[in-house]
Amino acid sequence: MSENKAFYRAEFASTLDVLGDAITDALEALLANGWIDEDQVFYARLCLEEALVNAITHGNQSDTTRKVRIEMTREAPGDICCIRVCDEGPGFRPETVPLPAGASLNGRGVCLIRHCMESVTYNPEDHCLEMRMRRKGLCRGGAVS
Amino acid sequence: MNDTPLVTFETIGSITVGRIGAASVLDAVNVTQFGNEVLEFVKNRPGINLMLDFVHVDYLSSAVLTELLRINQVVQKGRGNLRLCGLKPDVHKVFEITNLDKVFTIYGESAQALKRFERSLEVAEQEDMWSRLAKDED
Repeated sequence: MSENKAFYRAEFASTLDVLGDAITDALEALLANGWIDEDQVFYARLCLEEALVNAITHGNQSDTTRKVRIEMTREAPGDICCIRVCDEGPGFRPETVPLPAGASLNGRGVCLIRHCMESVTYNPEDHCLEMRMRRKGLCRGGAVS
Repeated sequence: MNDTPLVTFETIGSITVGRIGAASVLDAVNVTQFGNEVLEFVKNRPGINLMLDFVHVDYLSSAVLTELLRINQVVQKGRGNLRLCGLKPDVHKVFEITNLDKVFTIYGESAQALKRFERSLEVAEQEDMWSRLAKDED
Protein backbone atom coordinates (compact mmCIF):
# COMPACT_ATOMS: atom_id res chain seq x y z
CA MET A 1 0.00 0.00 0.00
CA SER A 2 1.28 3.44 -0.93
CA GLU A 3 2.26 5.77 1.91
CA ASN A 4 1.56 8.76 -0.31
CA LYS A 5 -1.52 10.74 0.58
CA ALA A 6 -3.20 13.38 -1.61
CA PHE A 7 -4.40 16.36 0.40
CA TYR A 8 -5.73 18.45 -2.49
CA ARG A 9 -7.27 17.76 -5.90
CA ALA A 10 -8.97 20.04 -8.42
CA GLU A 11 -9.86 19.92 -12.09
CA PHE A 12 -10.92 22.75 -14.38
CA ALA A 13 -11.32 23.80 -18.00
CA SER A 14 -8.36 25.27 -19.89
CA THR A 15 -9.10 28.95 -19.47
CA LEU A 16 -7.22 31.68 -17.65
CA ASP A 17 -10.57 32.89 -16.22
CA VAL A 18 -10.41 30.21 -13.52
CA LEU A 19 -6.77 30.76 -12.70
CA GLY A 20 -7.25 33.17 -9.77
CA ASP A 21 -9.62 30.86 -7.87
CA ALA A 22 -7.56 27.75 -8.67
CA ILE A 23 -4.37 29.32 -7.34
CA THR A 24 -6.06 30.76 -4.24
CA ASP A 25 -7.54 27.36 -3.32
CA ALA A 26 -4.22 25.55 -3.87
CA LEU A 27 -2.33 28.14 -1.79
CA GLU A 28 -4.82 27.75 1.06
CA ALA A 29 -4.28 23.98 0.98
CA LEU A 30 -0.50 24.41 1.13
CA LEU A 31 -0.80 26.83 4.06
CA ALA A 32 -3.39 24.75 5.91
CA ASN A 33 -1.24 21.63 5.63
CA GLY A 34 1.87 23.45 6.83
CA TRP A 35 3.91 23.14 3.63
CA ILE A 36 4.60 26.86 3.31
CA ASP A 37 4.78 29.89 5.59
CA GLU A 38 3.08 33.20 4.83
CA ASP A 39 6.42 34.61 3.62
CA GLN A 40 6.59 31.83 0.99
CA VAL A 41 3.16 32.54 -0.50
CA PHE A 42 4.70 34.80 -3.19
CA TYR A 43 6.90 31.97 -4.52
CA ALA A 44 4.25 29.25 -4.15
CA ARG A 45 1.86 31.42 -6.12
CA LEU A 46 4.56 32.03 -8.71
CA CYS A 47 5.23 28.29 -9.19
CA LEU A 48 1.54 27.43 -9.35
CA GLU A 49 0.78 30.22 -11.83
CA GLU A 50 3.72 29.39 -14.10
CA ALA A 51 2.81 25.66 -14.13
CA LEU A 52 -0.92 26.26 -14.65
CA VAL A 53 -0.47 28.89 -17.38
CA ASN A 54 1.93 26.53 -19.12
CA ALA A 55 -0.60 23.66 -18.90
CA ILE A 56 -3.50 25.84 -20.15
CA THR A 57 -1.77 27.74 -22.95
CA HIS A 58 0.99 25.38 -24.13
CA GLY A 59 -0.20 21.92 -23.04
CA ASN A 60 -3.89 22.30 -23.82
CA GLN A 61 -3.55 25.17 -26.34
CA SER A 62 -6.32 27.03 -24.42
CA ASP A 63 -8.83 24.46 -25.69
CA THR A 64 -11.63 24.71 -23.10
CA THR A 65 -12.80 21.15 -23.81
CA ARG A 66 -9.48 19.92 -22.41
CA LYS A 67 -8.99 19.69 -18.66
CA VAL A 68 -6.20 20.76 -16.35
CA ARG A 69 -5.76 18.87 -13.10
CA ILE A 70 -3.90 19.86 -10.00
CA GLU A 71 -3.08 17.35 -7.29
CA MET A 72 -0.96 17.77 -4.20
CA THR A 73 0.39 14.78 -2.33
CA ARG A 74 2.50 14.19 0.75
CA GLU A 75 5.16 11.69 -0.17
CA ALA A 76 6.54 9.57 2.63
CA PRO A 77 9.14 8.80 3.72
CA GLY A 78 10.91 12.10 3.45
CA ASP A 79 8.02 14.48 4.12
CA ILE A 80 8.02 15.78 0.56
CA CYS A 81 5.16 17.70 -1.07
CA CYS A 82 4.58 16.78 -4.70
CA ILE A 83 2.48 19.27 -6.69
CA ARG A 84 1.28 17.69 -9.94
CA VAL A 85 -0.14 19.88 -12.71
CA CYS A 86 -1.54 17.71 -15.48
CA ASP A 87 -2.78 18.57 -18.96
CA GLU A 88 -3.68 16.78 -22.19
CA GLY A 89 -0.72 18.03 -24.20
CA PRO A 90 2.34 16.24 -25.57
CA GLY A 91 4.56 17.18 -22.62
CA PHE A 92 8.08 18.55 -22.40
CA ARG A 93 11.28 18.07 -20.44
CA PRO A 94 11.54 20.92 -17.91
CA GLU A 95 15.10 20.01 -16.97
CA THR A 96 16.24 20.83 -20.51
CA VAL A 97 14.61 24.28 -20.72
CA PRO A 98 17.50 26.76 -20.55
CA LEU A 99 17.32 30.17 -18.93
CA PRO A 100 16.79 32.42 -21.96
CA ALA A 101 19.74 34.56 -22.90
CA GLY A 102 19.55 38.34 -22.69
CA ALA A 103 16.26 39.89 -23.72
CA SER A 104 14.63 36.83 -25.34
CA LEU A 105 10.91 37.14 -24.76
CA ASN A 106 9.81 33.73 -23.43
CA GLY A 107 10.87 30.67 -21.44
CA ARG A 108 11.44 32.08 -17.97
CA GLY A 109 8.47 30.44 -16.20
CA VAL A 110 10.02 26.99 -15.95
CA CYS A 111 13.31 28.50 -14.79
CA LEU A 112 11.49 30.29 -11.96
CA ILE A 113 9.89 26.99 -10.88
CA ARG A 114 13.27 25.22 -11.05
CA HIS A 115 14.79 27.91 -8.84
CA CYS A 116 12.11 27.59 -6.17
CA MET A 117 11.45 23.83 -6.10
CA GLU A 118 13.67 20.96 -4.97
CA SER A 119 12.99 19.16 -8.25
CA VAL A 120 10.86 19.63 -11.37
CA THR A 121 10.20 16.70 -13.67
CA TYR A 122 7.63 15.68 -16.27
CA ASN A 123 5.72 12.43 -15.89
CA PRO A 124 4.91 11.36 -19.48
CA GLU A 125 2.52 8.57 -18.45
CA ASP A 126 0.14 10.92 -16.62
CA HIS A 127 1.05 14.07 -18.64
CA CYS A 128 1.93 15.83 -15.38
CA LEU A 129 4.52 18.37 -14.39
CA GLU A 130 5.72 17.24 -10.97
CA MET A 131 7.15 19.86 -8.63
CA ARG A 132 8.62 18.63 -5.35
CA MET A 133 9.58 20.58 -2.26
CA ARG A 134 10.45 19.90 1.33
CA ARG A 135 8.25 21.24 4.12
CA LYS A 136 8.79 25.02 4.22
CA GLY A 137 11.76 24.54 1.91
CA LEU A 138 10.29 26.47 -1.03
CA CYS A 139 12.70 28.86 -2.73
CA ARG A 140 15.54 28.15 -0.35
CA GLY A 141 17.61 26.65 -3.15
CA GLY A 142 20.45 27.88 -5.31
CA ALA A 143 20.61 29.72 -8.59
CA VAL A 144 19.12 28.57 -11.87
CA SER A 145 21.73 26.97 -14.04
CA MET B 1 -10.64 43.84 -19.66
CA ASN B 2 -10.93 46.12 -16.64
CA ASP B 3 -12.17 49.67 -17.36
CA THR B 4 -9.87 51.13 -14.71
CA PRO B 5 -6.42 51.86 -16.15
CA LEU B 6 -3.66 49.87 -14.50
CA VAL B 7 -1.06 52.51 -15.29
CA THR B 8 -1.25 56.31 -14.95
CA PHE B 9 1.35 58.48 -16.66
CA GLU B 10 2.83 61.77 -15.47
CA THR B 11 5.50 63.76 -17.26
CA ILE B 12 8.08 65.37 -15.00
CA GLY B 13 10.60 67.40 -17.01
CA SER B 14 12.09 65.10 -19.64
CA ILE B 15 10.90 61.93 -17.90
CA THR B 16 7.51 60.23 -18.00
CA VAL B 17 6.64 58.25 -14.88
CA GLY B 18 4.23 55.34 -15.37
CA ARG B 19 2.72 54.42 -12.03
CA ILE B 20 1.24 50.96 -11.78
CA GLY B 21 -1.45 51.86 -9.29
CA ALA B 22 -4.67 50.01 -9.89
CA ALA B 23 -3.32 46.52 -9.36
CA SER B 24 -1.23 45.09 -6.58
CA VAL B 25 -1.09 41.92 -8.62
CA LEU B 26 0.20 41.65 -12.17
CA ASP B 27 -0.60 38.13 -13.23
CA ALA B 28 -1.56 36.15 -16.31
CA VAL B 29 -5.09 37.55 -16.13
CA ASN B 30 -4.37 41.30 -16.29
CA VAL B 31 -0.94 41.21 -17.91
CA THR B 32 -2.35 41.82 -21.38
CA GLN B 33 -4.11 44.96 -20.21
CA PHE B 34 -0.89 46.16 -18.57
CA GLY B 35 1.14 45.55 -21.72
CA ASN B 36 -1.44 47.13 -24.02
CA GLU B 37 -1.77 50.26 -21.91
CA VAL B 38 1.96 50.91 -21.81
CA LEU B 39 2.61 49.92 -25.44
CA GLU B 40 -0.26 52.16 -26.60
CA PHE B 41 1.30 55.04 -24.68
CA VAL B 42 4.89 54.59 -25.87
CA LYS B 43 4.33 53.62 -29.51
CA ASN B 44 3.58 57.18 -30.68
CA ARG B 45 6.19 58.79 -28.46
CA PRO B 46 9.62 58.12 -29.98
CA GLY B 47 12.48 59.12 -27.71
CA ILE B 48 10.40 58.71 -24.57
CA ASN B 49 12.25 58.47 -21.27
CA LEU B 50 9.91 56.18 -19.34
CA MET B 51 10.22 55.13 -15.75
CA LEU B 52 7.77 52.44 -14.58
CA ASP B 53 7.11 52.65 -10.85
CA PHE B 54 6.33 49.27 -9.24
CA VAL B 55 5.94 50.52 -5.68
CA HIS B 56 2.33 49.30 -5.44
CA VAL B 57 3.00 45.94 -7.11
CA ASP B 58 3.07 43.05 -4.64
CA TYR B 59 3.30 40.23 -7.17
CA LEU B 60 4.22 39.55 -10.77
CA SER B 61 4.84 36.49 -12.90
CA SER B 62 6.99 35.73 -15.95
CA ALA B 63 4.18 36.93 -18.23
CA VAL B 64 4.85 40.46 -16.96
CA LEU B 65 8.56 40.07 -17.72
CA THR B 66 7.65 39.24 -21.32
CA GLU B 67 5.48 42.38 -21.55
CA LEU B 68 8.29 44.50 -20.10
CA LEU B 69 10.71 43.12 -22.68
CA ARG B 70 8.21 43.99 -25.44
CA ILE B 71 7.84 47.51 -24.06
CA ASN B 72 11.61 47.85 -23.87
CA GLN B 73 11.93 46.80 -27.54
CA VAL B 74 9.50 49.54 -28.64
CA VAL B 75 11.12 52.19 -26.43
CA GLN B 76 14.61 51.33 -27.68
CA LYS B 77 13.46 51.26 -31.31
CA GLY B 78 12.32 54.86 -30.82
CA ARG B 79 15.73 55.66 -29.28
CA GLY B 80 14.14 56.19 -25.89
CA ASN B 81 15.02 54.86 -22.46
CA LEU B 82 13.17 52.60 -20.01
CA ARG B 83 13.88 52.39 -16.31
CA LEU B 84 12.14 50.48 -13.52
CA CYS B 85 11.86 51.60 -9.90
CA GLY B 86 10.19 50.87 -6.58
CA LEU B 87 10.46 47.07 -6.79
CA LYS B 88 9.69 45.23 -3.56
CA PRO B 89 12.26 42.58 -2.54
CA ASP B 90 10.29 39.55 -3.80
CA VAL B 91 9.49 41.28 -7.09
CA HIS B 92 13.15 42.26 -7.50
CA LYS B 93 14.12 38.65 -6.82
CA VAL B 94 12.11 37.52 -9.87
CA PHE B 95 14.28 39.79 -12.03
CA GLU B 96 17.44 38.41 -10.38
CA ILE B 97 16.47 34.76 -10.84
CA THR B 98 15.81 35.32 -14.54
CA ASN B 99 18.92 37.50 -15.01
CA LEU B 100 16.72 40.37 -16.20
CA ASP B 101 18.25 42.63 -13.56
CA LYS B 102 21.11 42.78 -16.08
CA VAL B 103 18.80 43.66 -18.98
CA PHE B 104 16.79 46.40 -17.26
CA THR B 105 18.18 49.34 -15.33
CA ILE B 106 16.46 49.11 -11.95
CA TYR B 107 16.49 51.96 -9.47
CA GLY B 108 15.25 52.18 -5.86
CA GLU B 109 12.41 54.36 -4.63
CA SER B 110 10.71 56.79 -7.00
CA ALA B 111 12.08 60.23 -5.98
CA GLN B 112 15.70 59.04 -5.90
CA ALA B 113 15.14 57.07 -9.09
CA LEU B 114 13.94 60.19 -10.90
CA LYS B 115 17.16 62.02 -9.97
CA ARG B 116 19.32 59.10 -11.09
CA PHE B 117 17.44 58.82 -14.38
CA GLU B 118 17.82 62.58 -15.02
CA ARG B 119 21.54 62.35 -14.25
CA SER B 120 22.00 59.36 -16.58
CA LEU B 121 20.29 61.29 -19.38
CA GLU B 122 22.58 64.29 -18.78
CA VAL B 123 25.65 62.04 -18.91
CA ALA B 124 24.40 60.35 -22.10
CA GLU B 125 23.79 63.77 -23.68
CA GLN B 126 27.32 64.92 -22.78
CA GLU B 127 28.83 61.71 -24.14
CA ASP B 128 26.84 62.16 -27.34
CA MET B 129 28.11 65.75 -27.67
CA TRP B 130 31.76 64.70 -27.16
CA SER B 131 31.29 61.91 -29.66
CA ARG B 132 29.96 64.35 -32.27
CA LEU B 133 32.83 66.79 -31.60
CA ALA B 134 35.38 63.99 -32.00
CA LYS B 135 33.83 63.02 -35.32
CA ASP B 136 33.89 66.66 -36.50
CA GLU B 137 37.62 66.85 -35.69
CA ASP B 138 38.24 63.74 -37.80
